[in-house]
Amino acid sequence: MRTATLNRLTPYIFLAPAVVIMALALLYPLGYMIYGSFRDWDPSQTLGETEFVGLSNYFYLWQDASFRESLAVTLKFAISVVSVEMVIGVGLALLLDRSLRGMSVLRTLFILPMMIAPVVVGLMWRYMYHPSVGIFNRTLESAGLGSVDWLGKHALLSVIIADIWQWTPFIFILSLAALQSLPRSALEAARIDGATGWQQIIHIKLPLMMPVLIVTCLLRLIDAFKVLEVILVMTEGGPGLSTEILALRISRTATEFRELGVAAAMSNYLLMLLLLLTVAMLAYNKFQEMRADRARRIAEEAV
Amino acid sequence: MSAQTEKQHPAFYALLVLLIMMSVGPIALMFINSFKLDVDIISGTSGLLFLPTIQNYETALCDVLPYELDHLDFCALKFGGAFINSLIIALVSTVLTLVIGCMAAYALVRFRFMGRDTVSGSTLMVRMVPPAVLLVPVFGLWNNEFCIDKASWLGSLIRDNFGGRGDVCLAGTHSGIILIYIAMNLPFVIWILQSFIVQVPRQLEEAARMDGAGPFQVFFKVVLPLIKPGLAAAAIFTFRIAWNEYLLASALSDRDTKTVPILIVNNMSEFNVEWGVIMATGMLLAIPPIIFTLFASRQIITGMTAGAVKG
Amino acid sequence: MLKPFKSLRLTLAAAVLAATSIGANALAGPYDEFAGTTLVVNFPAHPHYNAVMKILPEFTKETGIEVEVDQLPYLKMRERQTLELGQDEGDYDLIAYVVFSKADYVYADQLENLARYFMNPKLSDPAYNADDLIDGYVYNIGFAGGAKGYLQGKTGSLYGIPYGSETSILGYRKDIFEKHGLKVPESYDEMLDIACKIPELEPGMGGLSSRAASGHHASHAFLLHLAPLGGRIFDDEWNPIVNNEAGVKAANALKTIVDCGPKGASSFGFGEALGSFLNGDTAMFLDTTVVAGQIDDPSKSKVVGKVGWAMHPMGERRGSQTGGFGIGIPKNAENKEAAFLLMQWLTSQKGDKLVALAGGNPSRFSTHEDADVNAKFPHMKTFGEALKHADPDWRPIIPVWGKINADLGTTLSKVLTEDLDIQEALDGVAERTKGIMEEAGYYTWK
Repeated sequence: MRTATLNRLTPYIFLAPAVVIMALALLYPLGYMIYGSFRDWDPSQTLGETEFVGLSNYFYLWQDASFRESLAVTLKFAISVVSVEMVIGVGLALLLDRSLRGMSVLRTLFILPMMIAPVVVGLMWRYMYHPSVGIFNRTLESAGLGSVDWLGKHALLSVIIADIWQWTPFIFILSLAALQSLPRSALEAARIDGATGWQQIIHIKLPLMMPVLIVTCLLRLIDAFKVLEVILVMTEGGPGLSTEILALRISRTATEFRELGVAAAMSNYLLMLLLLLTVAMLAYNKFQEMRADRARRIAEEAV
Repeated sequence: MSAQTEKQHPAFYALLVLLIMMSVGPIALMFINSFKLDVDIISGTSGLLFLPTIQNYETALCDVLPYELDHLDFCALKFGGAFINSLIIALVSTVLTLVIGCMAAYALVRFRFMGRDTVSGSTLMVRMVPPAVLLVPVFGLWNNEFCIDKASWLGSLIRDNFGGRGDVCLAGTHSGIILIYIAMNLPFVIWILQSFIVQVPRQLEEAARMDGAGPFQVFFKVVLPLIKPGLAAAAIFTFRIAWNEYLLASALSDRDTKTVPILIVNNMSEFNVEWGVIMATGMLLAIPPIIFTLFASRQIITGMTAGAVKG
Repeated sequence: MLKPFKSLRLTLAAAVLAATSIGANALAGPYDEFAGTTLVVNFPAHPHYNAVMKILPEFTKETGIEVEVDQLPYLKMRERQTLELGQDEGDYDLIAYVVFSKADYVYADQLENLARYFMNPKLSDPAYNADDLIDGYVYNIGFAGGAKGYLQGKTGSLYGIPYGSETSILGYRKDIFEKHGLKVPESYDEMLDIACKIPELEPGMGGLSSRAASGHHASHAFLLHLAPLGGRIFDDEWNPIVNNEAGVKAANALKTIVDCGPKGASSFGFGEALGSFLNGDTAMFLDTTVVAGQIDDPSKSKVVGKVGWAMHPMGERRGSQTGGFGIGIPKNAENKEAAFLLMQWLTSQKGDKLVALAGGNPSRFSTHEDADVNAKFPHMKTFGEALKHADPDWRPIIPVWGKINADLGTTLSKVLTEDLDIQEALDGVAERTKGIMEEAGYYTWK
């Protein structure tokens, strides 16, 4: 009898810790943040002591030129980073999809940049971009090409390059995995028909990889909105607001300007933006599954 | 593509070398510079011709070295302490996340609570939440709400035994940082482990149950050993985030619970950028992830591709 | 016959005994009660406080009071303090605060008024000689409640003591100036002229090293020029006048300096600006006195012995910076009395001299004239001279300054890197500042 009860309770016991932690440390904070975004909230106050201000934090942000600029920077950063990374990553995957000795070593070396702490990535690049000490300007100067004001006049570009360095391998590895799981038969058939390399890529490989590529792209896009530490260490958002992405702006609003309510409202905007992307991605997945299902059913019926 | 190794164009190998240089170069540069004195880094007369020194590492680790350092007036960087904090936080949160995540994943698969769709949906939802978004609420909650009155019996017990002042709050403790890391990592871990648990044959578990094993025994003795590769992948990803994270840790830690990333950011202080020491601290922070990568790259790739390629 | 002698001896012995016991009492006296206490203090990572770290063991030896230091970068330090001071019971017994935090902390009632400590005969050292503290710094950093709320005035009182206070000074490369027969600039026009001549005379060398990075650094660099050129952020009725002629002139000066500066100057923080001067990449340096200790440290500097010091050049008026740090006792501290003792010890004549010899910035007139200090740091005299022109109203120390400072710093950074029109940029700052001030209630009495 007791074991039976225990057995019946088992799943709940197994799930309980996870549920409790998620509720306490993730859902509750998110709710707390949404609640806080309607309040005039200073860090020295508890939320209970704050004053309700309705939507004014949200309206304030819309009129705030700095916020709009920061939003624009975020979009510029995310879009350029993801598109360049997609092109390079997929290109490399197509190029390196051969049976090569030492391919696993190559892949290992490629994932190193992703595993290292963003803080460290930031400091490496800050050093390399240094106007006089850094390796880029040293090389350029010794080649007689003059120097570039990397983190000054071209800060956003510099930050984008660092991100590309760190995350292109992610796309490369995912696309390589996708390439290697393509049905051999289709490729063989194409080759027998005498398709050139380019034709194979454009008409067969890319279309077949497309579902994975889209998912990869969206995952990367979501992550690109989360970047913070690398930029914090490299430029602290400057010069001006030229590299102040939203995540950084939120953190500055909360800690430096001490306006938790506004920071919460900004967090909410960012969350809504990401929610939109995620929902798009889930919908796309669902759509793909349905199409695959239909295809299978048709195939089964045919048999 | 084809079975026999094709003869490759020389340009192809040149490209490979270039790629490897690009991905490893910055790290190698940091490694080399961490053995240089600041004077050598700044003058930069030669890339490789310099007298290697471990002085930067000594400076960084001054609080745990058994001997006094001549070149320092006082130990400003307490890297040793921060390293221990980082280790405690990363290891404890990894172990707890795995245990809790494993149990939850098992329950979800075997007892058919929710469909896989729901789980992968919520995983994505959580993945979408940037740490910066959690900053404000976590800061407020951990400092003001998740507290025990110091006058209550538990509060006074903690204050009497561990010292400190004010109400006992999650902020400023290892547990506070660990809790948020577990929450951030759990969905991903559950999701990854689910795909491994699904592959464990049901018959094995039934057989064990026939032999009189309870559900917990079945789980620990039969299921766990079979999903080791999944556990490894999940562990590395959890560890990596807990080890590398800066923003939330900096909001939640106090002077005794600082982790290494906080120390590095703080040390890029505006008055004196000591490149050598910074590179040394960066290198020390990067070593554990580098080791993982070299020894478990396959698991990492599994973890990474599990998301997108399998859908 | 012997008796009187004996008794005399006895009295002598008694007298000696009494004397020694009084002596022992006097030695153990003020610190006795607090020996064994551990103070937790929050200091910035900053050259002056690095010097303080060197003399703290001396304090512990003398008093038996242990000191645990939490050193943070100074902008980080402010965030941490905001959090700590807001709690019922805080961790820190003594804090060093950036001068503009004075307004925040005093306004939020988070710092102890020092009157009750200086009144306490057990704590207050009669030999402290407060008159010797440099007036401008005391009013600028420690004093609150006077004119405009942050200046000297009859209604104010003391909340902190200046410690690690700075003024601005011009450092120049004697060798370069000699080589090209340049005259050390005394006016702004001369300085800007030389700053832009240097890159032509010495290819690869920048004129003047200035900080310019977005935010606090750019704003600070601008303020350095604003006061000498006759400008202010506000007029006497809190109307922003940062966009008047003097303001535009100051921003122009900053832009000229950055354009003629070392490469990458537009992203320099203080560390990089100083670094480039130490590395010999620039011919002049115009910023705080705090750097002097490092210029002659061969492990950090390549320009040892080549640097001369001069006063901050004059524009419309002399107006060098008042800034740096003060130390104060948080309201929510645990060991306030012991913290006061540490504070008093550090800022005493003895402590001030010790820290000056260790490479810190003295806050007393007597230390600037001290023979030992001047023998070790010959520049101390020029610095003492410069102090006389330090402008206590160099920047408005009001609670909303943090916000205005951030906006000013970001906008100026745009001027420097994105070629935003200066007048337009400053008009924008003035307009937004007006809004901030309106909201904070500065126009209530109009």
